[in-house]
Amino acid sequence: MVNHGLLLDLVERLAATPVGSTVELDVSASAAGGAAASDASSATSATAASRAEEAAANIDLIARWCRASGNELAEVRAESVVVRHGRRRDPLALLDPSQLPGTRLWMYTNFDCNLRCDYCCVSSSPQTDRRALGVDRVARLADEAADAGVQELILTGGEPFLLPDIDEVVASCTTRLPTTLLTNGMLFRGGRLERLRRMDRDRLTLQISLDSATPELHDAHRGPRAWERAVGGIRLALDEGFDVKVAATLPADQAHEVAPFTQFLGGLGIRPENRVIRAIAHEGAADSGVELTVDSLIPEVTVTAEGVWWHPVAATDESHFVRAEIFPLADAIADVRERFIRHREAADRAAEWFPCS
Amino acid sequence: MSDTAEPLIIGSVAYTPNVVTIWEGMRDYFATTDTPIDFVLFSNYGRLVDALIAGTIDVAWNTNLAYVRTVAQTDGRCRALASRDTDVVFSTVFVSRAGAGFDGIEAVRGRRLALGSRDSAQAAILPVQFLREAGIAAGDVELLRINSDVGKHGDTGRSELDALRAVLDDRADAAAIGLNTWEAIARGDIMAGALGAFWTSPEYSHCTFTAMPSLSDERAEAWLANLMAMDWERPEHRAILELEGLRRWVPPKLDGYRGLFEAVAAQGVSDRW
Ligand code: SF4
Repeated sequence: MVNHGLLLDLVERLAATPVGSTVELDVSASAAGGAAASDASSATSATAASRAEEAAANIDLIARWCRASGNELAEVRAESVVVRHGRRRDPLALLDPSQLPGTRLWMYTNFDCNLRCDYCCVSSSPQTDRRALGVDRVARLADEAADAGVQELILTGGEPFLLPDIDEVVASCTTRLPTTLLTNGMLFRGGRLERLRRMDRDRLTLQISLDSATPELHDAHRGPRAWERAVGGIRLALDEGFDVKVAATLPADQAHEVAPFTQFLGGLGIRPENRVIRAIAHEGAADSGVELTVDSLIPEVTVTAEGVWWHPVAATDESHFVRAEIFPLADAIADVRERFIRHREAADRAAEWFPCS
Repeated sequence: MSDTAEPLIIGSVAYTPNVVTIWEGMRDYFATTDTPIDFVLFSNYGRLVDALIAGTIDVAWNTNLAYVRTVAQTDGRCRALASRDTDVVFSTVFVSRAGAGFDGIEAVRGRRLALGSRDSAQAAILPVQFLREAGIAAGDVELLRINSDVGKHGDTGRSELDALRAVLDDRADAAAIGLNTWEAIARGDIMAGALGAFWTSPEYSHCTFTAMPSLSDERAEAWLANLMAMDWERPEHRAILELEGLRRWVPPKLDGYRGLFEAVAAQGVSDRW
């Protein structure tokens, strides 16, 4: 038998609940509430099945009331429901449009690298397995991307220029969407230089890693003479007519390096909007750095040969793995968005349980 | 826009935490106009009206009973400024168990009628007046008064829910509650299997912004123009309007208080709390 008194309890409790917050209501057959008092004796003798039936009827009543009243049935538990006063804030709507998961698609072309940087977030090195995504899968992802709402493709590694078909991989992207290719800029010679030259200068931005205005800091993390060759790569790419972004990975205690570094980049001809400074993340080979967890990080949909990941900075960290199935891309993006909404809601609920006082 | 203007101070009773959200939203809205406001929250209507009369606040957001008492305390010098669209078409609903066969106010003769807190216009004072007008004398109906909100903030919603509980628990045959409480629960036919409304009173007026003559007509009119300009079609306004339970602000309907003035006089309800 439905317990309509529960609705009276719910209305009373919601009236005293801030909009956006939730209340938990007991919907079991023995729950309090107006009509329950007269049903108490029958409830005690009820069988488990009829108790379950009554709880289900109560949940249905509350669900219908929530729908009609603009409140949200946030969660159904075994013998209780959680109702939110008003509608939930849509976590996606609260994001800056450029942060909406799936606005950009990151693809790890491969994991091997000519360098072995001590802070590499995916532990790349010359010994790392290639695990290439492959031109076919990249082309299919690029094909599906625009329809899935993606506005920019970003290719990273490892070092993409180690791939013999990197020019084809890049072309399969630039023919569809504006693309950025991340590289350490050290391999622009011979056949690799030829591949670079075949890339579409109008649709491709090269993002080259450089950490400091002088070799010391850069080489301390990335290896001897790495700075000199990276600067050479930046100059070459600019001379070749590419749009070049420079990204620095800076430990927190090196903030004093920023001013001379931006000055240096200005001298190279890197526009202010093309200068990126990132913190070291505690991922991959890095033994310290910013801690990144899926519930604290706005996702950037990332695809590797293994599947879909939460964020490119943690594309080998199991806790950031989303799913093995890459296609259809739209489903993968929807999956990431749903998980993001769930994380945000859980965080909101936690914030309600632990007020700041 | 409003950098130099003195804010108008509005008083309201904090009967739920959402009152803070509502008035912060109103303050944000008026900050974009030439009549900025600030607000002061009170724990009950007695304190609110005292502050209005003392000049601590410029405008009080009053219930109908608080308005009627303000009129009595000021010899009619106060002025109603504006109401919600829902306030000028308010009514009282009589509710019984579904299928009880009640078909009009007459049906409560000889039955038990649950009323809300004694300081509730919609769930106590006016229902008694409606019974009287229908020729149902005090002895003809057994009144179950549920004073669960008395001595609190003055919002009587809880006692109205308790009156419905009394019907569900068979401690009363019917309950008299405000239309807003009934609609909040029933939402169409959701209570159809348990409770049903069998009589609805004529419309009367409920809450209204109230000011004293110390607020100049010029300031009042400028503020009212901005209040009335709040627009349901604009999402940033709608969020506030929804929370406050209206679609648009309207001029007060003074006729709609006549019944309450009469009821207060007839029942000897005091001017103060
Ligand atoms: S940080 Fe970049 S350049 Fe360094 S090892 Fe990792 S992938 Fe290679």
